Amino acid sequence: MDKFIIIGERIHCISPVIKEALANRDPAPLIARGREQLESGATYLDFNIGPAERDGEEIMKWGVKLLQENLDNVPLALDTVNQKAIEAGISVYNRSKGKPVINSADAGDRLDNIDLAAANDAIVIALCSKQGVPRDNDERMQYCQEMLEYAMELGMDTEDLWFDPLTLVIKGMQEKQVEYLQFIRQLSDMGLNSTAGLSNASNGMPKEVRPVVDSVLMAMAMECGLTSAIMNPNDKRLMDTIKTAEVIMNRSLYADSYLEL
Amino acid sequence: MAFKKDPQVFGAKITEVAFGADGASAVFGGGNTLPLYSFDAETRHRPLVGIEFSDKGPDRSLPGLAEFYEGADSLTDVAARACMAQGADFVSLVLESADPNGDDIPSEDAAALAKEAAKAAAGSGKPIVIQGTGNVDKDQELIPKIAEALQGMSALLLSAKEENYKGIAVAAVTAYGQKIGAESSVDINLAKQLNVLIAQMGIQPADYVMNLGTAAAGYGFEYIASTIERVKLAALSQNDDALQMPVITPVALDAWSVKEAVVSEEDFPEWGPREERGVQMEISTAAAALAAGSDAVILRHPASVKTVSELVTALV
Repeated sequence: MDKFIIIGERIHCISPVIKEALANRDPAPLIARGREQLESGATYLDFNIGPAERDGEEIMKWGVKLLQENLDNVPLALDTVNQKAIEAGISVYNRSKGKPVINSADAGDRLDNIDLAAANDAIVIALCSKQGVPRDNDERMQYCQEMLEYAMELGMDTEDLWFDPLTLVIKGMQEKQVEYLQFIRQLSDMGLNSTAGLSNASNGMPKEVRPVVDSVLMAMAMECGLTSAIMNPNDKRLMDTIKTAEVIMNRSLYADSYLEL
Repeated sequence: MAFKKDPQVFGAKITEVAFGADGASAVFGGGNTLPLYSFDAETRHRPLVGIEFSDKGPDRSLPGLAEFYEGADSLTDVAARACMAQGADFVSLVLESADPNGDDIPSEDAAALAKEAAKAAAGSGKPIVIQGTGNVDKDQELIPKIAEALQGMSALLLSAKEENYKGIAVAAVTAYGQKIGAESSVDINLAKQLNVLIAQMGIQPADYVMNLGTAAAGYGFEYIASTIERVKLAALSQNDDALQMPVITPVALDAWSVKEAVVSEEDFPEWGPREERGVQMEISTAAAALAAGSDAVILRHPASVKTVSELVTALV
C-alpha cells in the first residue's frame, strides 16, 4: 500500500502574503512557505494562482521554476482555472520527482482539463461534480464514471486520475457526511486514487474547533481509503493524526518517535 | 497466452554501506528487490559472507578447523589465515576475552588485539567487523577504545544497543569514522526506534547497519525471519527510510551453541561427527537469514563460508 500523499495547500493566492508576492514576483515568501510545508511532510505543493486571467501564463511559469529550482524539483499541483497558465507551467515543469498534477477537472465545463492531462502525461484531480454540489452518491459515481471513461479513451492510466469526492461543509450539510465517506470507500473499492480538500468540512466553524474536526474527518476518510489530501501540513494535530492512522492501518512501522518522523 | 514477466522492482532501495580501508573494503546493501530476487533486477551488491575468529584462537578440537588454522598461533596469523577462507568477503574478530563473564581483560588490551587483527586483515586485503562482548556496560567502554585504535580503517563495530548507542555512535562514527551496527533483538519497533535515535544524533545512513537479532535455525528462528522480512518490506514497499540500512546477521555463536553442534559423537553416535553438524547448523541458519533478507552473515567454519558463498553465487 502506498503512503498517503499530502499536497500542501499554503501557496494560495487567497493568502495576502502570497497574493502580494505573486504581484511583485517576490520569491522569498513562496520559497519559505514551500519549504515549511515540505519539512512538515508534504509530498506535493499546490500552487494556486487564482483565475489569473491577465498574466497567468507568466506567473505560473515563474512560480513553477522558482519552487522547483529552490526546493529540489518538488512535484507540484498547478491550481488555476486558466488552462493556458497550466499549459505554460507544464512547459517548464521538471518531472524528476513526479508528474505535474492538474488541479482540477470536473465532469462539466472543466472536462477538457482531462484532455490537457492526457496530452501532457500529467495527473489530474477529477472533481466528481458537474454543476454545483452532487445530489447524492449515485450522481457522484455517474460523474466519476464519465470522467474515467473519457480519460481511458484518451489513453490515460486510471491511476493518474485522483478523484475528489467533493468535501461538503458540515455546518449546513451535516446529513451528507456519512455518504461522503461511503463514496470514498467506493472509490477505494474500485482501486481508484482519490484526493480531497478536507478542511472544507470545517468551514465557518470557530478557529479552535477546526483542527479537531479536520483531524477526525481525516482519520475517518483514511480508513475509508482516501489516498491523498490537499491540506495544511503545518497543522501539527492533523499531521499527527495522519501518522497515527498510518500506524494503525499498518502502513508505517511503529517506533516510539514516530510522530517526530 | 505467453508468459509476461512483470518484475517487482521498488522505487526505494537499501542504503549502500561500505566499510574497510582502501584495497580492503566491502559494500553491502543497494538493492531494490526482495531478497535474492535477482530475476527482478540486477543485484547491486551480493550479500556478503564473513568468517569470524576469536581472540582466544580457534576451537582446535574440531579436526577441520584445526587443520585450516594449522600453524597459525598468533592472532595476526589467525586473522591472516581467516582471510584465506574461500568465499570470505570480510573477516570478523570476536573479542571473547573481554567478556566480563570470562577473562574480562581491560578494554585497552582488547582494543590492542582488535588493532592487531585489523592490521593483519588489511594486509591480506579484507575489511574487518569487530564483535564486542554483547555486555552493554563493557561495550560502552570497549567500542570507543577500539574505534580509536582502528582510526582510519573504517571498520564495522558491533554493536550499539538501546542502552549504549549514544556514546558508541559519537565515539565510533563521529570521532573516528568507523561504521557501527545497531542491535535490537527481535523487536521490530525497537529496531526502527534505534535507527531513528542514531539518525537524530547526526549519524548518516551510510554509517550504520542493523543487527536485528539472531537464533539458530529451529530455535525460534521464525521470529528472526519474520522480523527481517517485515523490515525489508517496510524499507522497500513503504519507503521507510528509518529501516533502509543493510542487515548483518552474526550466525556463528548461536549455530555453534545449540545441542546439535555441542553434544559429542560418543554420546550421540547416530548423529555423526560434531564438526559436520555445526557446519550444517551454520549453513542452514545462514541460508535462512539470507532468504529472509540479511545483507551479510558471519560464520565460523571455513566449510560453511565456502558453501554459503557458493549458494549466493548460484542465486544472484
